Amino acid sequence: MGIITVLWEKWTEFKRDFYKITLAAMISPLMYLVIFGMGIQTTSHGEPYLNYLIPGIVAMSSMTGSFSAVAQNMSVQRLYEKALDQVMISPTPLWQFILGQIIGGSMRGMYSSCIIMLLTMPIHTGLIFNGYSFFILFLDGMVFSTIALVLSFTAKSYADAPKYTSYIITPMSFLCNTFFSTEQMPAGFRQIVSILPLSQCSSMVRSIAYGENPGYLGVIILLVYLAIFSTISFIFIYKKKNL
Amino acid sequence: MIELKNLTKKFGDFTAVDHLNLQIKTGEFFGLLGPNGAGKTTTISMLSTVLLPTEGEILINGVPLTRKASAQKRKLSVITQEYSMRQDMTISEVMEYQGRLYYMSRKEIKEKSKALLEFADLYRYKNRVVRHLSGGMKRKLMICRGLMIDPEIMLLDEPTAGMDALSRRQMWSLLRQINDRDLTIILTTHYMEEAESLCDRIALIDHGKLDTIDTPHNLIAALGAFAVDEMKDGELKSSFFRNRQDAITYLSDAPEDASLRTTTLEDVFVERIGSHLMKK
Repeated sequence: MGIITVLWEKWTEFKRDFYKITLAAMISPLMYLVIFGMGIQTTSHGEPYLNYLIPGIVAMSSMTGSFSAVAQNMSVQRLYEKALDQVMISPTPLWQFILGQIIGGSMRGMYSSCIIMLLTMPIHTGLIFNGYSFFILFLDGMVFSTIALVLSFTAKSYADAPKYTSYIITPMSFLCNTFFSTEQMPAGFRQIVSILPLSQCSSMVRSIAYGENPGYLGVIILLVYLAIFSTISFIFIYKKKNL
Repeated sequence: MIELKNLTKKFGDFTAVDHLNLQIKTGEFFGLLGPNGAGKTTTISMLSTVLLPTEGEILINGVPLTRKASAQKRKLSVITQEYSMRQDMTISEVMEYQGRLYYMSRKEIKEKSKALLEFADLYRYKNRVVRHLSGGMKRKLMICRGLMIDPEIMLLDEPTAGMDALSRRQMWSLLRQINDRDLTIILTTHYMEEAESLCDRIALIDHGKLDTIDTPHNLIAALGAFAVDEMKDGELKSSFFRNRQDAITYLSDAPEDASLRTTTLEDVFVERIGSHLMKK
């Protein structure tokens, strides 16, 4: 029931800011596709670079969409509007509130990814996006929603939210299998970047897009991230003395 | 009954609330008064579980209040000092969100919301976004939101802060009507007149500690129900007397500009808390 309430709140927000949300989800990814995929025409792994880029941009959109939906919203609610107080005092179990935020954030991430899929559909790349791709994108969105929750619970001021984007989301966008393969990175650094959630998501979505079997290891890694960050969010909301 | 047992809240080395012990009876209109930084809002924040105590506990009818205590929390409603609500929602959405958080049916939300918004003269603005409302309208909306759920306990943290005199009087009248429904109300305010007019009992707190607790009448009587104001060395001094005759006798020997009046709760506050501040 509490999960439905949070999803209703997210839906209300989505309806109100539909154009803003949709445009924000389109602009940066479209720029990347136009500049790197169409402007600088090249090949990668024997395929047109655009075919390499699209699955990476789809995965990146799921990350940025879900992260920004939760991080901005929660930071504003907790630090500026103090609207989180209304939830804290209500009888809605706080684990349901957290789960609602995670699912709602992930759905926003999925929406961002779907926009990119729709926009690139007329290009006829032959890339495949199936149910498994959507499952992986949803899982990726859940992971980044929980990361956003943890960070927004630790934020000391409203200005911290953009900092997290600069320090975490932007580097991941560029390094984690979006624009080039992590295999090209120096050893040591490569292993670290490869295990990050976006690298796993991009790699799996790309494999499916090429008609290959992505395996299940990536899913397990994403589930581990989800378990770790969800546990931290639950600990914060129940135990943090000064929320 | 609400019991605060050795309630303590520390922020690093700073103790905001220091072993506070209070018992608030069911149906009581209870005032929590103190200077800025006395620990009033911190106490309300602990009662609303936004802050967790460093030590001590809060019991509602003998059951500890925690973030997991859904049954206890269902009884509570909070009106915070700040406009703690989504600024991008409309009035209707704020009310619906509250109803949903408290598991009300959609029909119930619609009916209750309409009745409360009409009562507060906000119904015609129901589609207006919160950030476009005046301060007074936001306060009224917070009261409506608080009442949406038929609470047993209402926590009011400076509910009339920033309101003009007329709106404040309207709010007092509204609060009296609410209290008539046998609701327990805990009020923090900087307006002594407000506390004197509304509260059954008042606790004065300073530096997080309880200074005194009693009815407004008894607090005033303890200081002396009559006051004589006079200028001494360029400062206004007040002397307090238990009966009128003593005050008149004193006044007859006082300078011409001295005047007699009845003592107010503000005098009690200034004498008890102000003298502590002066000493420091």
